[in-house]
Amino acid sequence: MNRYVVSVLVADRVGILRDVTSAVTDMGANIDGFSQTVVAGYFTVILTTSFHEPRSPESIRENILRNFGPDEAAVVVQPYAADAVGRIPVKGARYIVTVTGVDKPGILKTITGYFADKGINVEDWFVEFDGGNVRHIGEVSVPKLLDIKQVQEEFQHLLSAMDMDSFIQHENIFKATNEIGAIGAILSGGR
Amino acid sequence: MIKKSDIVSTVRMLQEEHLDVRTVTMGINLVECACRDIRATAAAVEKKLKLKAGNLVRICNDLSAQYGLPVVNKRLAVSPASLLLEGHNRSGALLLAKAMDRAAAEVGVDLIGGYTALVQKGMTPGEKVLIESLPEVMAQTGRVCASVNVATTKAGMNVDAIRMMGTTILHMARATKSKHGFGAAKLVVFANIPEDNPFMAGAFLGSGEPEYVINVGVSGPGVVKRSIDRLIKTRPDCSLGEIAEEVKHTAFRVTRSGELMGREVAARLGIPFGVVDLSLAPTPRVGDSVGEIYMAMGISKLGAPGTTAAVALLNDAVKKGGAFASSSVGGMSGAFIPVMEDHALARAVEEGTLTIEKLEAMTAVCSVGLDMILLPGDTAPETICGLIMDEAAIGMINRKTTGVRVIPVPGRKVGDRVDFGGLFGSGTVTNVNCPDGAAVFVNRGGHIPAPIQSLGN
Repeated sequence: MNRYVVSVLVADRVGILRDVTSAVTDMGANIDGFSQTVVAGYFTVILTTSFHEPRSPESIRENILRNFGPDEAAVVVQPYAADAVGRIPVKGARYIVTVTGVDKPGILKTITGYFADKGINVEDWFVEFDGGNVRHIGEVSVPKLLDIKQVQEEFQHLLSAMDMDSFIQHENIFKATNEIGAIGAILSGGR
Repeated sequence: MIKKSDIVSTVRMLQEEHLDVRTVTMGINLVECACRDIRATAAAVEKKLKLKAGNLVRICNDLSAQYGLPVVNKRLAVSPASLLLEGHNRSGALLLAKAMDRAAAEVGVDLIGGYTALVQKGMTPGEKVLIESLPEVMAQTGRVCASVNVATTKAGMNVDAIRMMGTTILHMARATKSKHGFGAAKLVVFANIPEDNPFMAGAFLGSGEPEYVINVGVSGPGVVKRSIDRLIKTRPDCSLGEIAEEVKHTAFRVTRSGELMGREVAARLGIPFGVVDLSLAPTPRVGDSVGEIYMAMGISKLGAPGTTAAVALLNDAVKKGGAFASSSVGGMSGAFIPVMEDHALARAVEEGTLTIEKLEAMTAVCSVGLDMILLPGDTAPETICGLIMDEAAIGMINRKTTGVRVIPVPGRKVGDRVDFGGLFGSGTVTNVNCPDGAAVFVNRGGHIPAPIQSLGN
C-alpha cells in the first residue's frame, strides 16, 4: 500500500472538505486518517490516504489545488513514514491542562517551553477567548517517571507568575464525571 | 479528546463549587484480635490498624493531587468494639479505646469509628461495658467515635438501652465539660444503623462486610446549590420537577467522582471497594451548605411550611442520580441536616424559624436524624430519651436509618452560642418543647415490638 499524509490550509468557506476529499478519492485513494479544525476563520485539515499504485506527492498536491482558486490554499503532501505511530514520543498517563486568566503575550510559549523541558508531549490544545480573558485547554502525556505532584506545583508556580490560574488533572476525573460507562472500565482504559 | 464543555464544567465543580470527597473510610475487622487478656487485645488492635492502614493517607493524598479532587478526611471504621469487650470491664474498655486512638493518630486519620454496640434486641455484658465506658473514653481520647444501635425495623426498639443512653449522653457531655460537652458530638444513637456507612461519628464495619474494605462518602452541597442557581438564572420560572432533574444530573457527576477515588484507593491498597455513600454532607463553610440548597429552591426561611417537601425532593433526586451513576451505593445515601455543621441550618435555628420539631419532621424524609443539635446542660435524661425514641420510631416504622447526635452543653442555656471549631462548626443552644412531658412513658422501659410489615399506610 502507498500511503501519504496530506495537509491543507485555507480560509474557511462552504465545500472545502468536498474539494479536498473528492480530489484524492477521484485518484483512486482511500482516506484512512482524518482530522480538521477551524481557527479564527481559517480551516485546516490533515488526512492520510492510501493508493494501490505509487503516486508522486506532487501529483496529489496538484490534483487537490485544481479545486481551489489561485493562491487560495496551501497544500503539503508527503509519503507516510511507516514508523510514525511507533515514534509517538511519550508513553505515559494522560492529563488535562487548563489555564485561565487575562490574555497576554507569552502564555503559550511559557506553557510549551515547560512541557518540552520536562518531556511532556502535547497531544491536543485548544484556546478560546472571552473579551480580554483566555482559556487554554490541553491534553498532554506525562512520562511515568515524572512526579506529577512536582509537575503540578512547578507549572502552577510558573503560570501564577503571569497571573494565570492553572491545573493539571488526570483525564479519568473528566471521564468519570462526564461519561456513563462503568468506573472500572474507565480505570482499566477500556469501555 | 474529552469535550471542552465537559472539561470546563468539571473544573468549575472542582475549583469553584467545592466538590470534594468528604471521606475515604477504610473498614478493618478486628475480631481476630480478641484475647482473654485485654492488654493483649489492645496491643493486637493497635498493631493491626497500623499495619493495614499505614498507607491510607499517603495514597489518598497522591490520588487527590493526581485528580485535583480533595479528599477532606481519611478515616477508619472497625468492627464493633463491644465484640472485644466480652469478659472485660470499663478499665479494659478504656485501654482498648486508647489503643484505637493511638493507632489512628499514628496512621494520620482524624477519626476512627466502631466503638460500637448493637443492642436493638438486648444487651450483652460487653455491650453494657462499652456504653458505661463512653464518658471516660470520650474524655480521654481524641479520635475515637462511638455509635449505639437501639432499634431496627426487624427487631423493634430497646427502650431500656435508650434509657441508658439518655443518662450516658449527659455523662459524656459533663466528662468533656471543658470542651463544651464535645464528647457527646462523637456519639450517634441509631435506628437501622448501616453497616457500610463511611461518615462519622456513626461509621463502623458490619458483620457482613469483608475483612478490609474502602467506603467513600461524597460531598457536593455547593455543586448542587450552584447548579440550581444556574438553572434558575436561565429559567427563573422553572418548576420543581426541573429542579429535581437538575439535582439528579449533578448527583450523578458527584457520585462518579467519589467512586473513581474509592476504587483507585482500594486498588492501590489491594483491598475490595465497598460503596459510595451518596449523602450530601455540608461543612460550616459558606457555599457548602445543604440549607443553602433549600433556600436556592425558594425556601427563604428554613423551617417554613414546605421545607420538609424540599428535603424530600433533594433526597430523592440525589438517590436517583447516584443510583444511576454507580451500582455500588450504600451507607446512608441522602441529605444530611447536621445543624452545627451547616451555617444556614445553624442560623435558622438561632433565628427560631427551624425548631427541633421541624427538624424531626425533616428526618422522616432525609437520610439521618437529629444531628449536631445543642441542648441546655440541664436537659433531663428522659427528654433526651424521648428524642431518641421519636427518631428511632421514625426509622423503625419507615424502614430507614435515623439517628440522634445531641450535645447537652454543661452550664449553657437556650440561646447561648457554642463553637466546636473545624468541621464540627458552631451553633446556638436550642430548646425542646414540653421537655418534661414524657418521663413516665420513657421510664416504663422495656421493648417496643417490631412493627407490622403489612397494612403499609
